[in-house]
Amino acid sequence: MDFIKDYFFTLVVFIVPIIYSIQPLLLPALTIRKTSNNTSALSRKKNILYRQIKELEMEYDIGNLDKEDFLIRRSELKAEVSNVLYKLKKK
Amino acid sequence: MTPIAGSVALNLAFGCSILSIITLLIYNRTSDHRLFLTGQRLGLAVSFFVFIATFTLSYQLLISNFDIDYVARYTSFETPMIYKVSALWAGQSGSLLFWLFILSIFNTITIIQNQTRHHSLMPWVIIIMSATQAFFLILTNFITNPFEPTQAEFVVVNGNGLNPLLQNITMAIHPPVLYLGYVGFTVPFAFAFSALVNKDTGVLWVRSIRRWTLVTWLFLSIGIILGGWWAYQELGWGGYWAWDPVENASFMPWLTATAFLHSIIIQEKKDMLRIWNMILIVLTFSLCIFGTFLTRSGVMSSVHSFTESSLGPVFLSFVFIILLSSFGLMYTRIDDLRSPRKIESVTSREGGFLFNNLIFVVICFAVFWGTLFPVITEAITGDQISVGPPFFNQINIPIGLALLALTGIGPLLAWKGTSNRKLIQKFTLPTLLALLSALLFIIAKMTGYVVISFSLCVFVTVAILSEFVKGVRIRTGKFNESSIVALYKMISKNRSRYGGYIVHLGIVLMFIGFTGHAFDKEKEFGIKVGETEQVANYNFQLTRMYEQERSNHYAWITDLRVTNLSGDFITSLKPEKRVYFHKNPDINKRQPHSELDIFSTLNQDIYSIFSSVNNNNDTAFIKIMINPLVKWVWIGGYLLAFGTVIALWPRKD
Repeated sequence: MDFIKDYFFTLVVFIVPIIYSIQPLLLPALTIRKTSNNTSALSRKKNILYRQIKELEMEYDIGNLDKEDFLIRRSELKAEVSNVLYKLKKK
Repeated sequence: MTPIAGSVALNLAFGCSILSIITLLIYNRTSDHRLFLTGQRLGLAVSFFVFIATFTLSYQLLISNFDIDYVARYTSFETPMIYKVSALWAGQSGSLLFWLFILSIFNTITIIQNQTRHHSLMPWVIIIMSATQAFFLILTNFITNPFEPTQAEFVVVNGNGLNPLLQNITMAIHPPVLYLGYVGFTVPFAFAFSALVNKDTGVLWVRSIRRWTLVTWLFLSIGIILGGWWAYQELGWGGYWAWDPVENASFMPWLTATAFLHSIIIQEKKDMLRIWNMILIVLTFSLCIFGTFLTRSGVMSSVHSFTESSLGPVFLSFVFIILLSSFGLMYTRIDDLRSPRKIESVTSREGGFLFNNLIFVVICFAVFWGTLFPVITEAITGDQISVGPPFFNQINIPIGLALLALTGIGPLLAWKGTSNRKLIQKFTLPTLLALLSALLFIIAKMTGYVVISFSLCVFVTVAILSEFVKGVRIRTGKFNESSIVALYKMISKNRSRYGGYIVHLGIVLMFIGFTGHAFDKEKEFGIKVGETEQVANYNFQLTRMYEQERSNHYAWITDLRVTNLSGDFITSLKPEKRVYFHKNPDINKRQPHSELDIFSTLNQDIYSIFSSVNNNNDTAFIKIMINPLVKWVWIGGYLLAFGTVIALWPRKD
């Protein structure tokens, strides 16, 4: 009985993880679904850019940014957002 | 779980880590996604086997299986349950397994968290993490195996037990927290290395690891503060930082990591300092490994112990491999690492950040040199020398004060550059108040660094609080909110900025505590029951001295009644003199230990140590220390942790 218990323990603890690890090699060739990843990466980028615009406005409001720099940075960020939105729309 | 299960698990983990690296390297050439999945799963399997090994050793410690050498060395039947658990990281092989255990937790989280993200970066991230695991698996499998059987030709009836200094609840928590900090930097390093390999050195990798770095930095900071707290509560010399090599080993990566945390803000916002950030993360990770080498190779006690075991050379080789491969790769990617923008003005926030970075690195170099100088000297001349606190204090106090000044100056500087008008407008109030306070401190007969430190604390506090006030004013004017609502919304919408400012305030409080050290007083005396001794503005009367036998030690306990000079009762202190392993017939194996008692207030700590008792058991030798402002160090630590948690708190996007 003890032998079966030990055998079962060894099987579960040591062999199952190895089978789990090499199982993908038994599958037919796989390709990555790049489209969905790109979409999520783009929407993450969009959120970051929106956040950066808000932070930029805050910096300007509390006087950590002069007007000229603020306007340049904001237009740069807005252009980047437009570009990302365009790419997202295309998908 | 039998000990053999632990050994087998470590063997399998090593095999899987090598296979994971090979599979992912082939994937990088073939792009066959099956290989990526296999490499990823092998990475998870490594972690799983390490968990099995760690739980096996913990179980053996709990059941006191003295057939295992490690269990017999660090526990005994009398060791309380919690310290049987903490014995896991008390010795060399156990602590290396514990390092590996935490790395495996981080490895698992990183793989699961990024299953559908960062496809280009992840293969190399897993390779680097698996390589680090493989390194620690080499150590635990082939050099210092925690499952080694006891080398005795007789049945071991009882173990040695845990060192009494480690039988303290802070010491049970401090190493795991510190390790979480040390080990955590593997993740940002892996992302940085992967970004270098993939020639993707822009802002993507920086954004992926910002939160990781902050969490890890928080753990390292708390670990260092807990270490100081433990030293203060347990070691009985009245201080919390002695520039000991083990302390320095954790402080060095903290310095470079703090510099890194600041400079990645510049890369994230302005895409500058790419090379610098790479250098900082490589240095931080190397210093984490180097720190483990310093504490585990025995090189600090004598350079000769370095060669007695192969642990030291293997560790040092790993550090060299990390440095060579990282800097070699950086050299080949130098064109990608050139930032498209440059710092335009010294009086810009970018400039402020760069200065702050340089100061951190200079302090790190000074600590590194001071720590290694005795080792290098011994290796060359054969003479054993020590570099003590005077060297470190002489170098680091002025640099540290410059850094303190920058924690106030930085937030006042504008991005790109600050006009003279703005400079005057922003700096007038903090500077005036700092100068005024300096005058008051001089009138109060304070001198030198004390005046500079306290005045800078005023400067930084005013500078940071004025940033809060300005932000609240703008919000109340713009959105018609009450001040409290405006403060809450301002912080919640700009967590990293205001969390960072709170951390800076925590640092100010810590500096207040550090400066209090200049006013320390102490006196050592012998005292009999009924006698009174005066120390500073207090009288200490010994009202009672008695003995008590407890489960794992024998104790002499004193009862000291503390009154002020007018006779008002302040507190009662009960420092103890203990002897651990008191039942051991071998008198040399009994370990004496002084258990302190501290009365702590915001103003000062009254620190009492029961050094010894005379042969007649009627005179206690007591040391009293009056340590002003120490509590502010711990309060500053709480504030630092609170600020970091605010900065870390996830946003609702």
